[in-house]
Amino acid sequence: MAKKNALMRVTGAIVTVLIALTAVPMEMRAQQRGGRGAGAAPDPGDTDTRPYDKHDFSGLWARNPQAYGLGPCTECRDQALAPGYGFFGTVPPRTAEGEKRLLANKPGRGYELNSKEAKDHPDVDSGYKRAVLPAFGNDPEGRCEPLGLMRNIAFSGGGATMEMVQAKANDKIIQRFEWTWDNREIWLDGRQLPKVEDYLPRFNGYSVGKWEGDTLVVTTNGFDDRQWLDQYGFPVSEKAVLEERWDRPSPNRLRVKMTLTDPVNYTRPWPASVKVWALIPTSKMSVGGWGGILEDRCVPSDEHLFNTFRDKAAGK
Amino acid sequence: MRKLYKTPHNTLLTLAAGLLFLSGVASAHHGSGISYDTGHLWSTWATITEFNYRNPHPSMTFDRTLKDGKVEHWQSELLTNPSALVRAGWTKSRSLEALKPGTKVKLYIGTSRAGGLDGIVMKIESATGENIVGERGTVTAVDMDGVPLGLQPAAKEVLPGAPGNDK
Repeated sequence: MAKKNALMRVTGAIVTVLIALTAVPMEMRAQQRGGRGAGAAPDPGDTDTRPYDKHDFSGLWARNPQAYGLGPCTECRDQALAPGYGFFGTVPPRTAEGEKRLLANKPGRGYELNSKEAKDHPDVDSGYKRAVLPAFGNDPEGRCEPLGLMRNIAFSGGGATMEMVQAKANDKIIQRFEWTWDNREIWLDGRQLPKVEDYLPRFNGYSVGKWEGDTLVVTTNGFDDRQWLDQYGFPVSEKAVLEERWDRPSPNRLRVKMTLTDPVNYTRPWPASVKVWALIPTSKMSVGGWGGILEDRCVPSDEHLFNTFRDKAAGK
Repeated sequence: MRKLYKTPHNTLLTLAAGLLFLSGVASAHHGSGISYDTGHLWSTWATITEFNYRNPHPSMTFDRTLKDGKVEHWQSELLTNPSALVRAGWTKSRSLEALKPGTKVKLYIGTSRAGGLDGIVMKIESATGENIVGERGTVTAVDMDGVPLGLQPAAKEVLPGAPGNDK
């Protein structure tokens, strides 16, 4: 009996240790495995054969790795508040000006205006429950206008992909977005943000970044206020400031936590849902042997042709 | 959305499964899904008259020959988009060849919610039954080949965002 109890205790201890080991987050294990330049064996799901460098974000990134023959990425799935891709997170109350600007934007995405689906989601912000037929909306995307930084980031990775290019001098990172073939630059050379009043506003703003440990903290200002925050039509003002906290929690994952502070439109900062991408090898993201992101432009003449079909379908 | 259609239950179930799979794509570009009744798909044989392999979604015109010999001229957009097509192996030249004017195909369509001869094409089959110019083949629909107007809205609805229905 004593022998049996001892055996059970040993077995119990082993099980406890195994459970504890399993409970250690992948992220922690990744951190234990290697810091900057460490070359430990990758996770089974990893696709990158380079040494794991937490300060190197370069590569091709997508949020649907299964489309490239890789394993699924459950953490890449967004905590969506409505169908589609968005900034999401904790939506703050709007100022009177913010509400006015929101109502002026007529999106074609989200829960349909006055629909049962909209009524079935009483806890979801009203901004997500007013989708109209695109022919009756005014989404700037339907005119091939630039999407703007937050919308580029939120959209990249669903069907569209994203590339991060890190300059060898390590003075900047170029982020390239497949859909609309847009890009933004993050300067790491110690420069200060411009005074918004002194510069022309830009759709992707002005970005500076600095490392805090293994997290790249990026601050962006100088937004063009014609852009929408995301496809649901939330407004962005020229006074808005975006903070992004980027890190690479494992060799084949890239993650960002964003917070928008825009006192013109929102009464408090807006933290977005966390966005995660999976690293895609160039060989897998290729067409006809040509690896890389596609030149997936919004061409005004193409859009015009498409809109003639779109409008007729709506009876216009 | 209207609901007054007679559709076999098994078809509906298959359709629902297919649409669940497609739902992410439907919202990916330009919000096209909301303009069409993708909950009631129907199929028909058609002859391609024009195909445009362009962003944000390819567009297509086609003719349907009815049982009485009359011809309907339809226009449509495709649910998919060029970047998805090219990654699925449907390059521009291959797609244009597969859908050149005069080609006979079987189309799976959702009629526009405004009604008329406009729709969204969810799936295309060649004369030999091969799934073409698309990356998936799980969609099924009610056969309306030769039936005038295909499947139309049961009742006129005021569409969201239309004048008078935008609040």
